[in-house]
Amino acid sequence: MFTIDIRPDKLSEELLDYSRKLGQGMENLMNAGNIDTGVTPRDAVYREDKLVLYRYQTPAGVTPKPVPLLIVYALVNRPYMTDIQENRSTIKGLLATGQDVYLIDWGYPDQADRALTLDDYINGYIDRCVEHIREAHGIGQINILGICQGGAFSLCYSSLHPDKVKNLVTMVTPVDFKTPDNLLSAWVQNVDIDLAVDTMGNIPGELLNWTFLSLKPFSLTGQKYVNMVDVLGDPEQVKNFLRMEKWIFDSPDQAGETFRQFIKDFYQRNGFIEGGVEIGGQEVALKNVTCPILNIYALQDHLVPPDASRALKGRTGSKDYTELAFPGGHIGIYVSGKAQKEVTPAIGNWLNERS
Amino acid sequence: MTDAGKFPNDWLEIQRKYWESWTDLSRKATGAAAPTANPWEAGLDHWWQAVSPAAPELARDFMAKIMDQGKAFFALADGYTKNLGAMPGAGMGTGAGDGWAALSRTLEDMQKAFTGGLQGGDEASRRLMAFWELPYDNWQRLVSSMSLVPGDALRNMPHKHLNQALSAPGLGYTREEQAQYQDLMRRGIEYQQALQEYLQFFSGLGTKAVGRMRDFMEAQEKPVESARALYDSWVGCCEQVYAEEVKTAEYARISGRLINAQMAVKQRMAIMVDEALGAMNMPTRSELRTLQDRLQETRREYKSLRHEVEALKRQLGNGGPRPALVRTTATPPAPTPAAAKKAPAARKVTPKPAPSK
Repeated sequence: MFTIDIRPDKLSEELLDYSRKLGQGMENLMNAGNIDTGVTPRDAVYREDKLVLYRYQTPAGVTPKPVPLLIVYALVNRPYMTDIQENRSTIKGLLATGQDVYLIDWGYPDQADRALTLDDYINGYIDRCVEHIREAHGIGQINILGICQGGAFSLCYSSLHPDKVKNLVTMVTPVDFKTPDNLLSAWVQNVDIDLAVDTMGNIPGELLNWTFLSLKPFSLTGQKYVNMVDVLGDPEQVKNFLRMEKWIFDSPDQAGETFRQFIKDFYQRNGFIEGGVEIGGQEVALKNVTCPILNIYALQDHLVPPDASRALKGRTGSKDYTELAFPGGHIGIYVSGKAQKEVTPAIGNWLNERS
Repeated sequence: MTDAGKFPNDWLEIQRKYWESWTDLSRKATGAAAPTANPWEAGLDHWWQAVSPAAPELARDFMAKIMDQGKAFFALADGYTKNLGAMPGAGMGTGAGDGWAALSRTLEDMQKAFTGGLQGGDEASRRLMAFWELPYDNWQRLVSSMSLVPGDALRNMPHKHLNQALSAPGLGYTREEQAQYQDLMRRGIEYQQALQEYLQFFSGLGTKAVGRMRDFMEAQEKPVESARALYDSWVGCCEQVYAEEVKTAEYARISGRLINAQMAVKQRMAIMVDEALGAMNMPTRSELRTLQDRLQETRREYKSLRHEVEALKRQLGNGGPRPALVRTTATPPAPTPAAAKKAPAARKVTPKPAPSK
């Protein structure tokens, strides 16, 4: 039998303390200024339409490895998540292990990009970025790290262009889109995607935000802000929180035709598992992915459940397949202190052993 | 910033006095309720209205969210403490009896509020009830962001007796136009019904969450010692109940219907706007999309052909510098001297060292 031991004086003190923290934290919020994102120096090395390919500068004292690494981020949200702040940067960690890091920034598609298809993204944009890197380095194959939807794109790319990929790392990447615990997938089965795309053209980022927040509305739109009061007194923590907040709501619209194809082929038809996905007239088959694969997933991922990622095992043509389970969530796998210590070095070591 | 800097102190002082007087009353064990006018919301709102225009946009939105949720947190504490204050012998002891009875009363109030049985309701219960409107609130924000008018304008669109009118066919020269408006109204009604079903789905969940909270609290072995722990338990219970319900096929159907109905309304409106634009001899969205499709198709073919030409050049081994790939506004990369000199077929691993900081 439980007890409630909330004494009046303690309660009064607690609520007053909460009010005090809130009042004091106001000033930090008011002085927070602009929220900067992305901390590691980089150079834009290739541009096409709204896409920019960045190359990150290797820190002094580190000799880059011969095979460069291309990061393919999702179209959802912005890639600065991988380099969000000084002490929480996947990019920085990878550079420290000697990776020569490139990253695709997709930009913000507008209605002029509505007709872009998966073929345009995968056989077009990604392939031309790969070509650029191959040419710049004078090599035949590069390493690819795909994140979330970008991981699915990377699998498609590796299936269609196996000769250009030396090693593939997939992070929190959905492969089986119909695992029982995949809420996003369950919800989207009844959505008329054709109607949505035909109506909206591009799919607004707000619609995606609504969907993601609906996964845990009380925690993500309620409790989080109550808990935030505890750190309002620390200007640095306020900035860190605001940075994350900016990232969460910084959601580009999705190019309509790509969205249509991705949702129908993968979320509704489970294309990696069931087959039948064609991009640019070629079939996407996981068996065609023959390079070494490191598949990393997060055990508390509510967007891409672990089983959705683990489904990759045994489905590719690779003879060198490794899995890494991270005890955290979909975002924590990039930004948590634990991830900086465990995930990024593991990727670097795995690549170095194979490059 | 002068007002902004001063006001928190005033507000904190009022807060302090309020909670002190509440504590005193509780300690006197008279059973008297705490002061009824909690200055928390009114004071904070007043202060926020004064200073928010000067706050950066991100901080402004963020603070508004903190305050909204702070109100929910305080509502729980407020409801609990008022019930605790109303208990016989309130504040004398710290035993479980007082706390449990107060929580039970609070949960009962919440349950009544959810089922509409709490006539008028007190502010705390209303706030907690509003907590369960978060899913709809999120939806409303989404609809608002995709519309010219704020809020969900269709939610309260009058439609009584419309069904009969909508079943009458249009006549005469404007028959097609009438049919379009009828179709728009039909879609609007379908949206309202879908929204009603969506709201109905959530209406029962608040009551379930209260029951879950009761079970959860009874199962605890360690005493609950703070309002925050109470609040966190409430959030946890709400999230648990929500998660169980929204993974059902029924919810997938309901939320799918809601999105589809919203899109259907927007689709009809877009068609009508296009027709109006066409009548004014202006380009329509439909025409633009056709052009976008054709242009993209042409670009795709052009890029593909260019790629093939480059591949052919490489096959022919002309040895000249490779033309740039599609770089419409590109910053030309700096190819390594080695890479530039060598024919692609003879490539070897000679990477360019990355620039250092």
